[in-house]
Amino acid sequence: MTVLEARNIHKRYGGLAALTDVDLTVAKGQFVAVIGPNGAGKSTLLNVLTGLAMPDEGQVVLGGRAITRMATNRRIRAGLGRTFQHGRVFPRLNVLENVMTGAAIRGDLSEAALREVSMEVIAQMGLAEDANEAIGSLSYGRRRMVELARALACRPQVLLLDEPAAGLNSGEVDQLVDRLTELRARHGLAIVLIEHNMGMVMRLAERIFVLNFGCKIAEGTPAEIQADPAVLSAYLGEGYVHADV
Amino acid sequence: MAIRNALSIAAAILVIGGLLSAVLPEYYLRLLNLSAISAVAVIGLNFAFGYAGLISLGHAAFVGMGAYGLAILTVTSGWSPWLAAPAAIAATAVLAALIGYPLLRLRGHYLALATLGLNVSFYIVTSNWIDLTGGTNGIARIPELTIGTLTVAGEHRFLWLALVVLAIVAALAAILHGSRHGREMMAVRDDEIASEMIGIDTTRVKITAFVLSAVCAAIAGCLFALHVRFVAPEDFTYAHSITYLAMLIVGGESTIVGAILGAILLTFLPEWLRFLGTAYLFFFGLLMLCILVFLPTGLVGLGQRLRRSRKPSSAASVRVPEAKP
Amino acid sequence: MADFVQLLVNGLAIGSVYALAAIGFVIVYSATGVVNFAAGQFVMFGTFAGVATLLNAQLPWPFAYSAALLIMALFGALFFCAVYLPLRRGSVVTIIIGTVAISITMQNAALLSFGSWPFRLPSPVEDSAVTLGGAIISTHALGVVGVTAIMVGGLWLLFNRTSVGVGMRAVAQDLQAAKLMGLKVNRLLALSWVLAAVLAGVAGLMLGPMWFADVNMGDPIALKAFAATIIGGFGSLPGAIVGGLFVGLSEVLGASYVSSAYKDLISFGIMIVFLLVRPQGVFGEKIQDRG
Repeated sequence: MTVLEARNIHKRYGGLAALTDVDLTVAKGQFVAVIGPNGAGKSTLLNVLTGLAMPDEGQVVLGGRAITRMATNRRIRAGLGRTFQHGRVFPRLNVLENVMTGAAIRGDLSEAALREVSMEVIAQMGLAEDANEAIGSLSYGRRRMVELARALACRPQVLLLDEPAAGLNSGEVDQLVDRLTELRARHGLAIVLIEHNMGMVMRLAERIFVLNFGCKIAEGTPAEIQADPAVLSAYLGEGYVHADV
Repeated sequence: MAIRNALSIAAAILVIGGLLSAVLPEYYLRLLNLSAISAVAVIGLNFAFGYAGLISLGHAAFVGMGAYGLAILTVTSGWSPWLAAPAAIAATAVLAALIGYPLLRLRGHYLALATLGLNVSFYIVTSNWIDLTGGTNGIARIPELTIGTLTVAGEHRFLWLALVVLAIVAALAAILHGSRHGREMMAVRDDEIASEMIGIDTTRVKITAFVLSAVCAAIAGCLFALHVRFVAPEDFTYAHSITYLAMLIVGGESTIVGAILGAILLTFLPEWLRFLGTAYLFFFGLLMLCILVFLPTGLVGLGQRLRRSRKPSSAASVRVPEAKP
Repeated sequence: MADFVQLLVNGLAIGSVYALAAIGFVIVYSATGVVNFAAGQFVMFGTFAGVATLLNAQLPWPFAYSAALLIMALFGALFFCAVYLPLRRGSVVTIIIGTVAISITMQNAALLSFGSWPFRLPSPVEDSAVTLGGAIISTHALGVVGVTAIMVGGLWLLFNRTSVGVGMRAVAQDLQAAKLMGLKVNRLLALSWVLAAVLAGVAGLMLGPMWFADVNMGDPIALKAFAATIIGGFGSLPGAIVGGLFVGLSEVLGASYVSSAYKDLISFGIMIVFLLVRPQGVFGEKIQDRG
């Protein structure tokens, strides 16, 4: 069952075609990755999906509902979630308060219930001992975990992650991979991952979409993508077309 | 937690205010009354600016709407202040919502200039719509407030009224600060896009903050009208709006205590500088500049810094070094 | 018809003064990101520099004007060091309140030095008039428009044909890149403030004979300059000119044909409409908050 779909998305910025006829489908609980060289249009696609940019043509469908022109906050309440490339947490609120602002999406919870629910998510993300810390005192990696926790507190059906591994050391990346695997097992959450860290992508993704210069050039399982000559030449240049990676 | 804060602030206001009222001479009681009235207005501005980050240079216009609303209803229509005040406050809230809806799409200095324009327009209208507002002559002979057989006349009695109102407003503000609505406002100020991305309707949050600030301003306006018993356009100019903002910044933005301290300081400071004669405003301006440069976090920030430097240095807690991208 | 021509010229003259004030404001905003709420007081200082050199020191015209502009240039440099440099790391609001605080100081400095009675600053073409199509037009008003046009031309040359001017534009567009290119950024920033002060000085010297030299004249001018930049387009020089002329014309024509009492409401009303409908003004930058 498809939970999120982008159909025939076109987006131009002046003379630049950022996205040309791009499709994406995400099934319930599926782990999808979107990869491509820098400038391929991955962030633009994410912005179109989340409502920070409006497509010139095409539709975005969430759970069967057309959300193409819907305001961002309403999409989130409809089940979408997203984290940002450098981790945008609220600097004036502490860790717990940050997560509570996410949990508050469930309108009718009391203050105490919000706190409880948030502490659960915080514990799941391994942040329990930092719950009352100010954001400024945390390391970059832990701050990104806070952002993830906050997004999860909104109970999304589909979570869009924008380069979550950027700036993390390998130990932190392993932790992230473990967390994401747990989350999927626990919540049946669908994930769309934008990443450059190929190791992470190949380990986690069930299906991969490849963009280059705003067009989708390949779609398939990790094995298929790794063997795809179009993908190889996009990343490594026309001269490099090998049968094995 | 928030309730405890609210009650402590309210208690502190009443106790300290009460002590001061017993000790200070009449002249200083008048200043204290003006400080309390300003403090109510600045606590309101704290919602709009301190929490939600909306640069409003038109706050005095809302104070004026409350004051003129009460003045017109009591003097021209003969209403009791007890009915006129809620009506004036409600009307101001409605106007704020109507104005806010289109205006709050603007940010930063555009919003600042738009609200400035609003304040100036308010001044022009109140100065020229003579039939309604009495023009530059204003509206005089506003009745005193009576509680049963007691008339709130004189600085002493008015101070009690002002302190009670301030205590209630401060307590409610503290409760809001600790609630999800307060957090949402601060989230919207810190990062509007990230707030949208967790389902916060940032437009609704900004309009709510703006309307709340207008309600507090209108309450302050009603108090002003009942204290001075005369309203005129010169009392609600954009210079007053800037003063309210300065009170908030100097006291410590985003804090209720800061709002109150700033109101007191900037009400008393011109008086303390009076010994400088005609030069006092000159030095007032310079002093303000120095405070902004040397105390960017305001008085509250200074207090926090002093408290932190007194604490014994804690055992080195190992912090994971930041790994920037 | 004759009346209309007269009003038109007066409107353009006042508008030119507003345009010069707005240009100074825009130069500083573009280069430094500072919304200078003391912009009106700069013009007032210009007028009173004229009072000091012309009336008090009784210098002959060319010396008096040059001395006044030199004073303004020095003041601009002083402002850069004493106000801009300390404040520049603060938030938008801190800078706004800071420039307002200095505005109060400037106004009262003038009050202490010159007292509260308005002065009559004379014009070098005092009492002279020209007949145009049956209308009697003061030479001073024509002179104001002419001088403004020359100054605008000079500014164009400065910004497009001199390396200093190009450097100032570079600093305005990207401070970091300008530093990396080895530009003496602080000097160029200081020059922006000096230039703004001199422009305000010219505006003040020309305005004095049309109004009065009054220590309270700063604030209304600032408001008009803000309206001009919003309408013309924040950060845009042609915008400042168009906006200034528009505000001047609407003030003079509005006072005659609509209502003298509500004349200011017209320009502010239009400013607010622009903010709601087209915040970037006629020529302005795309709306993104400056970093």
